[in-house]
Amino acid sequence: MLKNDRTELNYAQLVKRARHLDAASYPKLKVALLADVSTQHLVPLLRVLFASHGVDVVIHEAGFDTVEVETLNPSSELYSFAPQVIVILRSIMRLKSSFYHASGNRRSFAQIQADGIEAVWSAIRTHSQAVILQSTFVVPYERPFGNFGRLVEDDLGGSVGELNREICQRARLHPSVLINDIDYIAAWVGRRHFLDEKLWGLAKSLCALEFLPDVAQNIIDISLASMGRSVKCVVLDLDNTLWGGVVGDDGLEGIGLGDLDEDGAFRSFQYYLRELSARGIILAVCSKNNEAVAREVFQKHPGMILREEHIAVFIANWEDKAANIRRIRETLNIGFDTMVFLDDNPFERNLVRQLIPEIIVPELPEDPALYVRAVSELNLFETAARSALDSGRNALYRDQEKRETESQKFATVDEYLQSLETTARCQRFESATLGRIAQLIQRSNQFNLTTRRYSEAECKAMMENLEDYFPFTLSLQDRFGDFGLINVVILRSRPEERLLEIDTFLMSCRVLQRGVEQLAMNKIFDYARQERYESVVGHYIPTAKNLMVKSFFEQFGFHRTQTSEEGATQWRLEPAEYVPRKVFIEEPFAETV
Amino acid sequence: MTHPEIHQKLTLVFRDLFDDPTLEISDATTAKDVAGWDSIMHVTLIVAVEKAFGISFTTKEVKTLANVGSLIQLIAKRVK
Repeated sequence: MLKNDRTELNYAQLVKRARHLDAASYPKLKVALLADVSTQHLVPLLRVLFASHGVDVVIHEAGFDTVEVETLNPSSELYSFAPQVIVILRSIMRLKSSFYHASGNRRSFAQIQADGIEAVWSAIRTHSQAVILQSTFVVPYERPFGNFGRLVEDDLGGSVGELNREICQRARLHPSVLINDIDYIAAWVGRRHFLDEKLWGLAKSLCALEFLPDVAQNIIDISLASMGRSVKCVVLDLDNTLWGGVVGDDGLEGIGLGDLDEDGAFRSFQYYLRELSARGIILAVCSKNNEAVAREVFQKHPGMILREEHIAVFIANWEDKAANIRRIRETLNIGFDTMVFLDDNPFERNLVRQLIPEIIVPELPEDPALYVRAVSELNLFETAARSALDSGRNALYRDQEKRETESQKFATVDEYLQSLETTARCQRFESATLGRIAQLIQRSNQFNLTTRRYSEAECKAMMENLEDYFPFTLSLQDRFGDFGLINVVILRSRPEERLLEIDTFLMSCRVLQRGVEQLAMNKIFDYARQERYESVVGHYIPTAKNLMVKSFFEQFGFHRTQTSEEGATQWRLEPAEYVPRKVFIEEPFAETV
Repeated sequence: MTHPEIHQKLTLVFRDLFDDPTLEISDATTAKDVAGWDSIMHVTLIVAVEKAFGISFTTKEVKTLANVGSLIQLIAKRVK
């Protein structure tokens, strides 16, 4: 990410710097460029800008317009290069040709194009673990219908917009795909400036050379985020940064906040910061002030959007800011290069830049109304979530909050569970879910009876062994959200003894006390009855973390048949003796287990 | 702008772009004569010339440039 401002992104300057570049001592990153635009002008820019961030980028440029050929062929140069990042750049000029060509058949244009794009991702996934940066298309500026195009089905701009949406929707289900939002850059710059028809004609250039550095920087931001290098903390000055004026002089009643912040500049800035905090960015305060006086603003001023609870580390004293920032870093135990320092005072900014070169100190304009703009221009808060579930985690926590507030309204737990309208889907292991199954098996520690760590390959083997194994999963959804796959059970057949053995039973802790384990157990005994087993046998193998399931089998009426010295227990129950548990979970897709 | 004035300004553009403070160009100079003047650099050069002189060439004009001399003629045509 850029550290101060965007002035470094000057095409001519970067081309010059590329000539004298020596990045050999930096860690390497292998990046492949696949495009239906020419990438030659982009290469030197990527080299210089990656080097600015301490990375020696090694670039493989695939032949012009060989995206499908390179990705579908397992022995292509792309795969022998073994890239860590694959950048796919697609041109709106090419897309427009396809669109015009498809006249009379535009209804499914976005779907068909998206299918092709997704097929490339799948092809890559088969042969490579690389992170894929998929570009969005620049929406064209021509409007064959004028504004009315917004109301028309197969309008050019509308179709491109729909394609971009389709790409992003599908990308959520591909953990290795990240979006490289070229359309955002084009819109930011102005579409009529971004696209250069002459350069396209001459050199098949993605955009005017002037804006290639912005495209390059975008690629760097996303690549770094995918490597885990992202900003974690914003350190904030107070006077003239979070409010107008100086609280030590103007007093609580006199600072520019709330009613006294007429143009709402500080309010906007605080909302933005609060939003970052909600997103997971830590906020800290580093101010030259009396601590009590500073805290009072957070506690008492009605115009404050940020409150003490949003601030993880609050330092207000008269010492130098570099020393205080060092203290903050130590408290949070993060790197200086993951910290951003915002201060309206150029003296303080420069001091901190000199004394702590790794920290990011954006230039702030004189006008507070422009603070949000100045900070967002640097795109400091890029992030990369590694799995579809991880990226939904925030949503999941929000959904959980909704559920928790709902639970206040019900008289009994049963009533509450009923109101959740929970549905479950029980399925045998399938190829599509093996990844998630293996992930749960590797990660579950607490609600895990035997903690057997099977690899994806071993799960696959059990999936295919229809005679000896019945492995199944439960996926859960309720009114507020989708939990996905949250329970894994592996049943093993021991026919000589007419026994059904519970080899593995584990569950995500997110769904405790909702009836999931009861539903799973019901399924186990349905199956046992169906296949005429005489008894069902379970094991508990104690670990440091799974104490919570020590009495799991007991609660279902199992009889304990063995106890070992280390505390491992074995249990048995006959299907005829098992009492099915009542659960408030519907199974709309019930398949006979 | 006169031919010599354009030539002088263009020389500065070349020197800056090719990072060579002693570079000299004449009407007969072509891409072959200047180190680093490949097809990629050519596009960069055209963009830099347009910017320096505040003018814009057509795609056709750019494609028919044979040497520096014809470039100077083109600039002379465009510059007000």
